[in-house]
Amino acid sequence: MEMLLDFWAAYSSTVVFAMVNSFIALSMYAVLSAGILSFTTIVFAAIGGFMAAQMIAGAGLPISVAIMGAGLAGLAASVLLAPLFLRLETHWMALASLALVLITRVVVLNAPALTGGVNGMLVPVRVGVMEMAIWLALVALVFYRLHHSWYGLATRAVREDPSVAATMGISTWRIQFIAFAISGAVGGIGGAGMAVTLQFISADTYFLGAAFTMIASTVLGGSFHWFGPIVGAFIFTALPTLMQSIVPSIQDVAKGVVLLVIMIYLPRGLVDPRARKLRKAARERQTLRDHHAPLEPSHDTILPGKTSKEAKA
Amino acid sequence: MTVSAHQDQGAPLHELRNVMMRFGGVVAVDNLTMAIPKGSVHGLIGPNGAGKTTVINLITGMFFPTEGTIHFAGKRTDGKQPHEIAALGISRTYQNVRLFSGMSALEQVMTGCYLNRDSSLFQSFLGMPIARANWRRVREKAMHLLERVSMADRADELAETLSYGEQRRIEIARALGSDPQLLLLDEPAAGMNQSEAREIGKLVHELCDAGLTVLMVEHNMSMVTEFCQSCTVINFGRLLITGDAATCLADPEVQAAYFGRKKHA
Ligand SMILES: Nc1ncnc2c1ncn2[C@@H]1O[C@H](COP(=O)(O)OP(=O)(O)OP(=O)(O)O)[C@@H](O)[C@H]1O
Ligand SMILES: [Mg+2]
Repeated sequence: MEMLLDFWAAYSSTVVFAMVNSFIALSMYAVLSAGILSFTTIVFAAIGGFMAAQMIAGAGLPISVAIMGAGLAGLAASVLLAPLFLRLETHWMALASLALVLITRVVVLNAPALTGGVNGMLVPVRVGVMEMAIWLALVALVFYRLHHSWYGLATRAVREDPSVAATMGISTWRIQFIAFAISGAVGGIGGAGMAVTLQFISADTYFLGAAFTMIASTVLGGSFHWFGPIVGAFIFTALPTLMQSIVPSIQDVAKGVVLLVIMIYLPRGLVDPRARKLRKAARERQTLRDHHAPLEPSHDTILPGKTSKEAKA
Repeated sequence: MTVSAHQDQGAPLHELRNVMMRFGGVVAVDNLTMAIPKGSVHGLIGPNGAGKTTVINLITGMFFPTEGTIHFAGKRTDGKQPHEIAALGISRTYQNVRLFSGMSALEQVMTGCYLNRDSSLFQSFLGMPIARANWRRVREKAMHLLERVSMADRADELAETLSYGEQRRIEIARALGSDPQLLLLDEPAAGMNQSEAREIGKLVHELCDAGLTVLMVEHNMSMVTEFCQSCTVINFGRLLITGDAATCLADPEVQAAYFGRKKHA
């Protein structure tokens, strides 16, 4: 029991950071699941973060209200931004979003009245584990419902083949607009989460480090199911701490190495519904074969248009 | 079903008028005028590279014509977005099957029912009773469509684990999900054996009897004579002849353009 308490004392902050990173990863997943690669999550997080910091440090509002405000601010920003971004071809959209991350940093540095400028902002309160957990559970519930709704089905179609989805009457623009809106709200909440766990935020909080964590978590956990980014964020956040207690010397390279290994051997991430279904199908075929020997020829046809490498994955 | 019974069914459901489609220097469709009679199975035939798939892409709004106009049920559709054209009641399959990777057969067909879902995305997200009821209804409809193409027992299987012929049948079921008025089939029997092909032909005929209009691109001449009431023959994107199937296929120019190059059953 005592050991458990010790463990919790040592690692509860890691758990909170993991939850905060989950929001950031989920925000990226929200657009990725509709076929958009965008780094705008970092921008929404910055807006949410400084919004929350102002609401808490400036207006003295409680954390939960600040997180809500941050979500709304992120949502508003994404709704304004989406129509501009959706005019661009996918790869240009990714580049434009990267440019926007750079611009955001400059804006944050040059708006000291809102963001503290180069000095950053102190946030006088720290969020409890329970409160963060409740927020994450709420957001996860939203993603769960989305996954099992018409929106979920439509995003999967748009991601796999937007022009085919369109001939089914699915408006790619509309689906991707909604995806941006969700990404904005969740990104804003994640940014606020960073503010109330780090307790100090500046232009650098919402920059390359956060972007790297976001991409790594999503790639690691997988972007084909909402549970993937959460799993990825937890592993990716816990990794440095674990490494430190096991082999401190390789702590610095561990993140990069794990990411490379995952990308090479598990390109679709740890949580992959398709791989699970394929394994199940293979098992069923095997039992069928075992029971009544060569009854039917195997149907291992590869979907045309997919490379054999992808079909194997 | 006789040829003449369908000839005098009045106004065409779909029309291309003087349509031109250029890709840089390539003229894929050249001043083509084509009418698909309502309630019939209309064949679109021509040698490889004649522009058949391009015609289907023009009809579904995947390409905008360089010149000319396209009309469906009295409305202009050229310049409309693909999802708007789909909503008017046009649905299609693809020459090189394009199913969604990672989805089960049932999910593919349910996606095809998107226009038929009868509840908003938001209601569906909230899981409101009406949305749940609609979801169940669409599920049943999708199962029923899978039965029609004899794939109901494979409903839960991933598309990529099915054979090519099975994937084609799933694609037809998916295209029927939106209850279209006009169905465009791009070589539906390609890669199938004779009996599978005839199954497809019979299914198309049943659908047609139920009121659907079908445009079928087909290389197999016995399929065309057996299942199409009328047809349009194109070569190099230009119209060779249009009319009832037997007359078209007997035309010497068609024989030269088509059979001169390619031998078919
Ligand atoms: N997107 C495109 N860009 C450039 N050229 C194209 C495009 N699509 C089709 N073409 C050209 O248009 C011509 C007609 O092609 P299309 O695919 O419509 O022929 P098809 O009749 O369907 O042939 P097949 O029997 O081989 O399917 C070809 O010369 C092709 O190269
Ligand atoms: Mg073709």
